[in-house]
Amino acid sequence: MEYALKMNSINKGFSGVPVLKNVDFSVEKGKIHALLGENGAGKTTLMNILGGVISMDSGSIELFGDPVKISNPAEAQKNRVAFIHQELNVVNDLFVYENMFLGHELHKGATMDASTMIQKTKEVFERMHVEIDPRAMMGDLQASYKQIVEIAKSVLMDAKLIIMDEPTTSLTQPEVENVFSIMRNLIEEHDVTIIFISHKLGEVVEFCDYYTVLRNGEMVGTHPIKSENGELAKQADIARMMVGKSVMDVEVYKPHEIGEVILKASDLCIEKHVDHVSFDLHAGEILGITGLLGDGKDELVRGLFGDMPFASGTIEKNGKVVKYNHPAKAKKAGIGMLPSNRKENAIIKDLTVMQNMTIVTLDQYKNGLSLSRAKESKVALEYKEKLNIKVDNLANLITSLSGGNQQKVVLAKWLTADPDIMILSNPTQGVDVGAKNEIYGIIMELAKAGMGIIVTSGEAQEILKICDRVLVMYHGVLKGELQRSELSEEAIMILSTGGILD
Amino acid sequence: MSEEVKEMKKNTGWHKFVREYSIILVAVGLIIVATILGGATFMNGQNFINIFRNNTVLGIIAFGMAFVIITGNIDLSVGTQLVVVGIVLLSVLNATGNIVIALIVAVLFSCGLSAGVGAIITKGRVPSFIVTLGMQYIYRSLAIFILDARGISGEVDAFQQISNYEIGGVFPLPLIYFAVVFFVCFYISKYTVLGRRIYAVGSNERATRLSGINTDKVKIMAFLLMGITVAIATIIEASRMNSINSASSGNGYELNAIAMAVVGGIAMEGGKGHMIGVLFGVIILGVINNILTIVGMNVYLVNAVKGAIIIGAVLLQHKKRD
Repeated sequence: MEYALKMNSINKGFSGVPVLKNVDFSVEKGKIHALLGENGAGKTTLMNILGGVISMDSGSIELFGDPVKISNPAEAQKNRVAFIHQELNVVNDLFVYENMFLGHELHKGATMDASTMIQKTKEVFERMHVEIDPRAMMGDLQASYKQIVEIAKSVLMDAKLIIMDEPTTSLTQPEVENVFSIMRNLIEEHDVTIIFISHKLGEVVEFCDYYTVLRNGEMVGTHPIKSENGELAKQADIARMMVGKSVMDVEVYKPHEIGEVILKASDLCIEKHVDHVSFDLHAGEILGITGLLGDGKDELVRGLFGDMPFASGTIEKNGKVVKYNHPAKAKKAGIGMLPSNRKENAIIKDLTVMQNMTIVTLDQYKNGLSLSRAKESKVALEYKEKLNIKVDNLANLITSLSGGNQQKVVLAKWLTADPDIMILSNPTQGVDVGAKNEIYGIIMELAKAGMGIIVTSGEAQEILKICDRVLVMYHGVLKGELQRSELSEEAIMILSTGGILD
Repeated sequence: MSEEVKEMKKNTGWHKFVREYSIILVAVGLIIVATILGGATFMNGQNFINIFRNNTVLGIIAFGMAFVIITGNIDLSVGTQLVVVGIVLLSVLNATGNIVIALIVAVLFSCGLSAGVGAIITKGRVPSFIVTLGMQYIYRSLAIFILDARGISGEVDAFQQISNYEIGGVFPLPLIYFAVVFFVCFYISKYTVLGRRIYAVGSNERATRLSGINTDKVKIMAFLLMGITVAIATIIEASRMNSINSASSGNGYELNAIAMAVVGGIAMEGGKGHMIGVLFGVIILGVINNILTIVGMNVYLVNAVKGAIIIGAVLLQHKKRD
């Protein structure tokens, strides 16, 4: 068997805390190899060592059979290793070809040699069988095409080993398929090997050849996705390896009582995004809204929360017609929202964990004119316990927490306001498997206590797990409604691609 | 994991101290250098009183400026706003002969101007840099027009006491105003709802809005605080000279105040920094001016040295932060 990569007995610690313990990691040439583990398991650290971003304490690396030393990103590139980071490193205001050559621009005299760069970009795209206009504006491309440009960059640099850190988090299902078919093509035609870091086990099983699981900095094991007798690995088994206990088969849904209608939306419209949508939300109900990218669900819930104006339509809350033109008004009326894209929309990066938790209800902690630190920390501690937020000091910056714990803080900040309606937009985006289930558990508890909950998610699995009732949107139109008993991944897929159920 | 561990380390003990208060180390270093250069001329009580007295006006503006910068904005109009507010102050004073009425009108007028600027920035969605640059021209031009490029003097003698009275014959009143403004700004920034929201808006405006907070209101409030500090600075300035000159008063004050805030660790991108840092920013710039005069640096070169020290101080802080 030919190996593209062998990392032997890798050790790495940060200020005395070991994060990688004697890890051996081998990747067969010409395969897509998934590297899995919870947040903090050490996958990114391991890959950062390979990419030359950080140095290891001990261990050795072999690339394509030769021992190598990689002490900085330039050396990684020289060894034909490309690292595509989690956040897209594209510049939206430049042309596609300019992005391709960013930092390696070709010159003709004092000016940039645009025509050669365009030509070379074209050649790479042709080799990859993708149709992107090199002269297109980067910002005009869809997310998956941006991702593909990132991959194309590594092809341009003639990389033989490409590391992709959660490349699909912001992509929809068809886009994910698109990216993977291009990756497969690269392997077959250009002799490339790919290491794929992801939390989405569905994709891993569907598209990868091998998977390796790390847990707490230790190697748990490497297995083929397809066993010798052609059997596919089960997501539940992989998840169990990741967290060390069974999680996937945990039934999170618990039947609960559903009350009166508390929110009634009629004929809501937002130009180009939402087209005459009507629905009811009951107390104690978990209502899912799903669909593919561009379905209008994000705009719809932003409208409900006062973050975007409706062109027409009415909303009744507890029988009274209401109108919110600012989130502050929605908050006052008892509506909370956990927005999607935590980093941009929910995390206040320069504030501490506690300050992030109390930001929604600051007025509650006043003692005369001053904020009472005692009152603040009492509430923060209470929710830290309640939601099992792992942080040893509430005065640490919010950015020091893992994704799952950050998300719990965002949830907690709204729970302090005790809303009767809570909108959860992609509640487990960028959250690892274990914390995901904890968040589902919290949602269940809230519904049981009578809160009306709207969950929007592009992940059918998530919707299936927790919702009492599901609305499926397609290009701004409500395509169908599914009761819990009618829910299936197929039904959701049919409706969200514009089809009709029999 | 790596980030988490690094971050945890940053938030404890010595690292945290260095990161948060490196500015104090810079100030101490500078004072040591100044003492070596200036000897007893620099290192004596009267000289320190002078340093503070000479920087009261700029320092008070710097505290207001800090609020504005923390929200991610800037105010380039404060120097000329001081002139306009000063004209109103002295005109009302001369017309009524009543100091209290003049002070109240000046404060309200200055607050109105700043709140208006804040409203244009937030409601009109024009960057603060542009709005306040425009206001800088407008204020100066109007002031020169109204006074025909001359000055206006106060005609009530007691008014001069506000800045010029010295407790026990040594301790000038403006130092007390400076201390009070510092403590109030420190308190607001650290211990009030408004202060917390100002940091939140500067750190992530979108997330703050989605936390159900009216971010426009927060920004206007920050400008209002700026307006109050400008009013106080104007009163001190007008009282000290007993006059305001339409063409020369307040020249470059906005940039000096910004320099004090930034040297003090207030980050231009917003969300970061604190008032204790600004206090030391004021001290650092004050000491620089003072020591350059003491050692007899060519006046034409003073600003070059000042500029280099501003850049150096901020560079050093960024290094410590990493």
